[in-house]
Amino acid sequence: MSQLVRAELLKVRTTRGWWVYLILIVLLVGLAVAGDVGSNADLRSQQEFQVGLVEAAGFGAVLAMILAITMVTTEFRHGTITPTFLAAPSRERVLASKALAGTLVFLFFGALSLAVVAAVALPWLTITGDEIHLLEGEVATRAAETLLSVVLWGLMGIAIGSVVHSQVAALVGTLVWIFVVENLLVGLLGLLDGEGVTAYLPFRVLDAADGTGGDNLISYWPAVAVSLGWIALIGAAGVWRTSRRDIT
Amino acid sequence: MIEVEGLSKRFGKTQAVAGLSFRVEPGTITGFLGPNGAGKSTTLRSVLGLVHPDAGRTTVLGVPYLELDRPLHRVGAVLEASEVHPGRSGRNHLRVQAAAAGIPASRVSEVLALVELTGAARRRVKGYSLGMRQRLGLATALLGDPEVLVLDEPANGLDPAGIRWLRDFLRSLAADGRTILVSSHVLSEVAQTADRVVIIHRGRLVTQAAMADVLAGASGATRVRTPDAERMRTLLAAQGLDVSTTEDGALLVSAPPERVGELAAANGVVLHELSVEQATLEEVFLELTGGETTQ
Repeated sequence: MSQLVRAELLKVRTTRGWWVYLILIVLLVGLAVAGDVGSNADLRSQQEFQVGLVEAAGFGAVLAMILAITMVTTEFRHGTITPTFLAAPSRERVLASKALAGTLVFLFFGALSLAVVAAVALPWLTITGDEIHLLEGEVATRAAETLLSVVLWGLMGIAIGSVVHSQVAALVGTLVWIFVVENLLVGLLGLLDGEGVTAYLPFRVLDAADGTGGDNLISYWPAVAVSLGWIALIGAAGVWRTSRRDIT
Repeated sequence: MIEVEGLSKRFGKTQAVAGLSFRVEPGTITGFLGPNGAGKSTTLRSVLGLVHPDAGRTTVLGVPYLELDRPLHRVGAVLEASEVHPGRSGRNHLRVQAAAAGIPASRVSEVLALVELTGAARRRVKGYSLGMRQRLGLATALLGDPEVLVLDEPANGLDPAGIRWLRDFLRSLAADGRTILVSSHVLSEVAQTADRVVIIHRGRLVTQAAMADVLAGASGATRVRTPDAERMRTLLAAQGLDVSTTEDGALLVSAPPERVGELAAANGVVLHELSVEQATLEEVFLELTGGETTQ
């Protein structure tokens, strides 16, 4: 199994896409934090504001999901799934090793995102002479929640990719689901007095599981649990689908 | 070594393979031949556990591929030259596969040298010619130094020099005692390399035999050259024999040379040449599969 995890990590690191992800994380998270700190001169010494800066690391979660979808679908797109299954005929093990290797990569994405938050905010706040709360316990909790959130989004991507093997369909379908289908469902269920149910839609719970609280209808740990439930359900469908498929 | 028993597979409305059975003997190069759409790739992919058959059973080294321990150390396969990520270098493609099979990285350099790709190893596969991709596929198959090799159309896209290289390469691999199953539509190449042939058509077995037996069993022809070609042709036709004229003016007769020679002597026809034309694998193949072109 550890051989397969190593192979999966090598696959991720040996294409140029890898560097694109890292650059995007640095740019997106860095710009978001810079924008936040720069435009809130009156708030930035407050602890609440500085804890909120960690939210910028959420870009890492979205990128983790996109990478995760491609970790599965690229193999079908380029036909490399053939040598992959020749080396490891147990398809369940291949998918499991993708989830395990993915988790390591997602944690790295999360850690990098947090490091960028610190690397932009700490010097800036030091220079402006604001009181720094970024190293307090509150922030550590938020950072841990962010890491878990990035992993959850990534695992959701692995699950989606193992169900929908077409790369374009998986990526576009996920976007359409998040921005169109879930919103439609929220509207429809609202008409039917089912607002309570809408909080349990896959990406609503994933969103609620990032620790930012806010207007979420369910609280943190239930959201994490329901997210894991969705990942397990979609992942099981993915194992079923991938195991039955003829590789031609 | 490789056994296929009663294999059937349908894709939608197409019956790709229908009750196919054959054996590949250990230590031989077996040519796996059939016209386009005969079911060759489906059969090979079933043997390798990539396609789930509707019926039948395939084994490699006595067990289904899915039950092989350390499969890359036992069986190497080259299926399609395009099954590589175009953005990855040839070397990294091999490193990934080596990592998955627990093969040391030093072996990657060895197989690269073996297929003469060392110089291009760090370039992205996107820029490889089809011939280079075929060689990268061969290198991948050889990573685990397997005793069985399964190759699907490895000569595809190779230029004459590449085909010659492949032929010599397969021979050297077979000389090490490996069992090789190679599908091809370049029949003349198979004729020069394979010990045995398995010919399939429309998903069914046409014949499996030693190459020499297949060629010997085929109806050859007798070649006759005579200054009196018109008279000879009339005499042969009167005997009910098929006669055709070659470009250089000789006659090809569907009868053994003894009979042609006796007929000529009895009628006082002067012969300048009387020889046996061995059927080529190409002709045998067309005869067995009803004239459909190979692919």
